[in-house]
Amino acid sequence: MTSLYDWSYWFCEAWLVPLLTPLLYFQEHIMPPFSNPAGDLARWMESDPGLNVLAWTIVVNVALMIGFTNVIIVVYLERKIAARIMDRRGPMLSFHSLKEIANDLAGSIPEYGWKTTTYAGIGILQNVADGIKFFCKEMIVPAKADRLLYTIGPVIFISSSILLLVLVPFSPRVAASSAPLGLLVVMAAFSIAPIGVLTTGWACNNKYTLIGGMRSAAQLMAYEIPLLLSMAGVFLVAGSFSPMDIVAQQQEVWLFGIPMWNIIPQFLGFIVFMVCILAEVERIPFDLPEAEAELVEGWTTEIGGLRLGLTFAAEYIRGFVGAMIATVLFLGGWAGPFLPGEIWFLIKVYGILVFFIILRWTVPRIRTDQILLLGWKRLLPLSLVNLAIAILYVEVF
Amino acid sequence: MAEMWIHMGPQHPMTHGLWNLRIKVDGETITDAEPELGYLHRSVEKIGERRKYFMNTTLTDRLCYASAMTWTHCYCLTAEELMGVEVPPRAKYIRTVVLELQRIASHLMWLASYLPDLGLITGFLYGMRDREMFLNLLEIPSGGRLLYNYVKIGGVKRDLPPGFDAKAERVMQTLERRLKEYEDLYDNSKIFRMRTDDVGCYSASDAINWGITGPNLRSAGVPFDLRQADSYDAYPELDFTPVTTSAGNGRSDCFSRYRQRIDEMYQSMDLVRQALVKMPEGKVMAGSVPVRARGEAFRRTEDSRGEALMYLIGDGTDRPYRWKIRSPMFTTVSAAPHFLKGYKVADVPAIMGSIDMCIGETDK
Repeated sequence: MTSLYDWSYWFCEAWLVPLLTPLLYFQEHIMPPFSNPAGDLARWMESDPGLNVLAWTIVVNVALMIGFTNVIIVVYLERKIAARIMDRRGPMLSFHSLKEIANDLAGSIPEYGWKTTTYAGIGILQNVADGIKFFCKEMIVPAKADRLLYTIGPVIFISSSILLLVLVPFSPRVAASSAPLGLLVVMAAFSIAPIGVLTTGWACNNKYTLIGGMRSAAQLMAYEIPLLLSMAGVFLVAGSFSPMDIVAQQQEVWLFGIPMWNIIPQFLGFIVFMVCILAEVERIPFDLPEAEAELVEGWTTEIGGLRLGLTFAAEYIRGFVGAMIATVLFLGGWAGPFLPGEIWFLIKVYGILVFFIILRWTVPRIRTDQILLLGWKRLLPLSLVNLAIAILYVEVF
Repeated sequence: MAEMWIHMGPQHPMTHGLWNLRIKVDGETITDAEPELGYLHRSVEKIGERRKYFMNTTLTDRLCYASAMTWTHCYCLTAEELMGVEVPPRAKYIRTVVLELQRIASHLMWLASYLPDLGLITGFLYGMRDREMFLNLLEIPSGGRLLYNYVKIGGVKRDLPPGFDAKAERVMQTLERRLKEYEDLYDNSKIFRMRTDDVGCYSASDAINWGITGPNLRSAGVPFDLRQADSYDAYPELDFTPVTTSAGNGRSDCFSRYRQRIDEMYQSMDLVRQALVKMPEGKVMAGSVPVRARGEAFRRTEDSRGEALMYLIGDGTDRPYRWKIRSPMFTTVSAAPHFLKGYKVADVPAIMGSIDMCIGETDK
């Protein structure tokens, strides 16, 4: 069992389908002309495409659970760290503040005394409250919007982001799939998102969303090339696109008792990669597509309800996956002493995420023309230099 | 992309207050702009003609919610000139102290609202946290935190309590420490400089022709300060020269306007210290203040945002016959299309934020 996909394929083949299909065949038997579809379904489930679909359904659900758990943790971290940077407390809604809320809703006057500490939790329920709020909101479609594109635009963005989670492994043991092209597929999935953004921006029939969508497309196109070039150095050294091989290669060379993770020989590539991945996941200082000061909320201005909530979650998923790729490529992935690999992997990923968060609350936003200049004039040559260094490195070692 | 008009306002995160900026864009470049004002017009001047002279200080407080003290003070100066009232020296010094404290609070509010415009929400919290200290300080003599109604015709409402100077000194030392932190955080930040350097430029001569005054004019290198040019209160007895900054060649850009306000905060703290040391003892209110007045009077003061001007005509009754307010921001916003053209859409908040808008006084 090399991956979650293999396991779930085996599970479907050995257990799920043999248990389900007799029921369907029995149903086909008792009412022959009407229940033929049940038999067809059973035969499809036994075939290879059917097993594939069932296996992927399990994989995607597990990935979604893992992904959203991590999103909740990242959002909570972001709020708390932002609050610390801003010299305030941040969300405090917790389990024992629920009593106060219930009292408020019931209309009874709470007793405020020096002993009753109200709302003095650590804020873990804030995200739950946000989720409930998003569920309760009405999904309003603007009157002059293109209904079809307006509906599928966010879906493209959200689904392509969730697809990313399936493709990057946590460790050799915890991996959803073991595609040999690995990280190349991840980058392909990364670049689906601008289509969704541009579609939504156009379909909303709003000038803010239109400009936001345009900016997003321009920015993602400009940063795709240096991003892939900075990754090319790592691929060259490892000789493979697979995350397993890349991490294994980083353990091979040791210098003065330190493993030569790719961050040491290819530090330039690491810098270029981090800047580009910040631009790809659209966080400050590169969050132009949703610059709230000039474009209200950018391309998400007209989206509402659960669609908006899932779009926010998808943005965090993209940030999380960006940190995962950086860890695999440059920080030695799940390698580390004493602790299990998954723990090491999460430590490194969260380290990068905390860096993202601190950066977001410390620097202003950059301008559209400046971001494109930075991408084409600075990062592209630097990534080429990094590629040359990688070639030299391969020649020397 | 074809040219199109975009509305920034009246309900938009960029507009601090209720106004509308229509910009015509070609792709991302601004080719034309058109400010629309009047969403917050409350007809202050007309209402003032129906109210007695001393009642109008409540209206002038509400002219600008970020700088209430300076507007009331401008009105009181004009009314005193109209009535021929002599203000006691201690009241003059107290006025100077509270005016400068109000100027610092106003500039901190500007700093707090400018950084979210550039995308840094942390700056908002920092600015508001520091403004809070100065509101606490202004609360001590006046009892109010936003609208003070503290300066009266003929003096001030109450004397400063004992120990006020020690409290003010502590607050100002804290602010000095924090301003140094902000200089590290903003001036040395590459991205902040990229967003503000050479953005929203205008020359000193253009600024004078358009009627731009105050910090926005001094940031182009023009050393014109009404506290010295047309001095009032205790300012003639204090030792200071107008601070100026410049983006080179007598031009003003967003960064020099930012720098100008930071430097003015240092200068205001210096003035508060001087005034607190030199403050004489005595009464804080003139002995008798007439109710009726005849004639006309006109005073201009250095508001936190520029040149505030008030003109009063009295016809011998206890209410003004005519009252005219000249707001510094009205002229500055009217000049906005000139220094918006040619920049990007993303520069609109950076430019319009840097001139320190206040819609309350603009729409009156």
